[in-house]
Amino acid sequence: MLILGIETATEQVGVAIGGHEGIIATFEVARGRRHAEILTPAIEFVLRQADVDVDELGCIAVDVGPGLFTGMRVGISAAKALALALRVPMIGISSLDLLAFPCRHTDRVVVPVIDARKGEVFWSMYRQVPGGVQQVSAPTVGPVDDLVADLLARSQEALCVGDGAERYRHEILEGYHCEISAPVHPSPGALVQLAHAQALREEWVRPAEIEPIYLRAPDAQINWATREQRS
Amino acid sequence: MLLRADSLAATQAIAAALAALARPGDVIVLAGEMGAGKTAFAQGFGRALGVTDPITSPTFTLVHSYPLPGAKQTLHHADLYRLETTSDVADLALHELAEFGGIVLVEWGDVAAAALGDHLEVRLEPDDDDDEDDGDDDDGDEFGLDGARLVTIEAVGPAWATRWARLSSELEPFRC
Repeated sequence: MLILGIETATEQVGVAIGGHEGIIATFEVARGRRHAEILTPAIEFVLRQADVDVDELGCIAVDVGPGLFTGMRVGISAAKALALALRVPMIGISSLDLLAFPCRHTDRVVVPVIDARKGEVFWSMYRQVPGGVQQVSAPTVGPVDDLVADLLARSQEALCVGDGAERYRHEILEGYHCEISAPVHPSPGALVQLAHAQALREEWVRPAEIEPIYLRAPDAQINWATREQRS
Repeated sequence: MLLRADSLAATQAIAAALAALARPGDVIVLAGEMGAGKTAFAQGFGRALGVTDPITSPTFTLVHSYPLPGAKQTLHHADLYRLETTSDVADLALHELAEFGGIVLVEWGDVAAAALGDHLEVRLEPDDDDDEDDGDDDDGDEFGLDGARLVTIEAVGPAWATRWARLSSELEPFRC
């Protein structure tokens, strides 16, 4: 069975196809931030170059964030539309998992850090386990200082990856001695690999069950004193 | 800074002066009650940037986007009036629209200013001295669309620091 993976949670648009034989095609563009314009042609291109007919796809995998709201919506709605049209199940995987998975061969703590804009980042921590990585701290959103405090509190050898680590390289290194390295963007190849392992165990869901992970700041009611007064 | 616009045309001239200095990444909050002229301000702002499509209130569609001629930029016109929670505001991802080559106008943005990050606030209020028979009834439009307005412009965050002197001198004729 072939899996199509769609990844648009950061500035990158990533598409990959793979299955039993591993990854057979990938496409990544990390410039321009034109998710809506690039994604559909990218899917067509990857299918055509890999000589895969759309009917051969048995599952659609998608990066469900956290990340850019605008980017995630493009990818998740396109993935859902494809899955509904093809009547195939879906697998949603976190962008933080996708950043950590390619680093599974290090014995350090892997810390994927995604730029959340307005001076904040999304992050989580992973440990090597046989065959992959395991999340050891829940995904969090907060200012870069909070990430540094979290790193200090754990005081373990750490490897930070992701566009948030790249953007706030100096702030992080000033506060905590660690390594910052690639990958910068979640890998669509990792998405297909991880989804394939889940698909073998039939751990998939219906398109309606796929939800983006927004990880917003705590919610509050808007104070509409003005509006109530007028209406 | 506190300005006075004695007509709709003057309000839109202030909007045009602001538009001339706005750049992608800017979030501009339009505050003021019903009928204060927030949409009229947005129309003056959009026209100054070359938008030829009619600019209408986005109250029911939340965000209207207008590509700007000759530039890879977009004017986004948002309205928070129908939203109930700060996460509804976060869902609009207005700062992402700004960052991706956008200038974002947000009507009623003052109610959720903390969710918007750095921005410029433009507050429009009827100038009470202008209108003698301004009864305090609640029909929301008692001061007439073409009446005088007090316009308060305030920057939140450093985004306008380098442009403030320029803006002040452009708007000098409207000073109170």
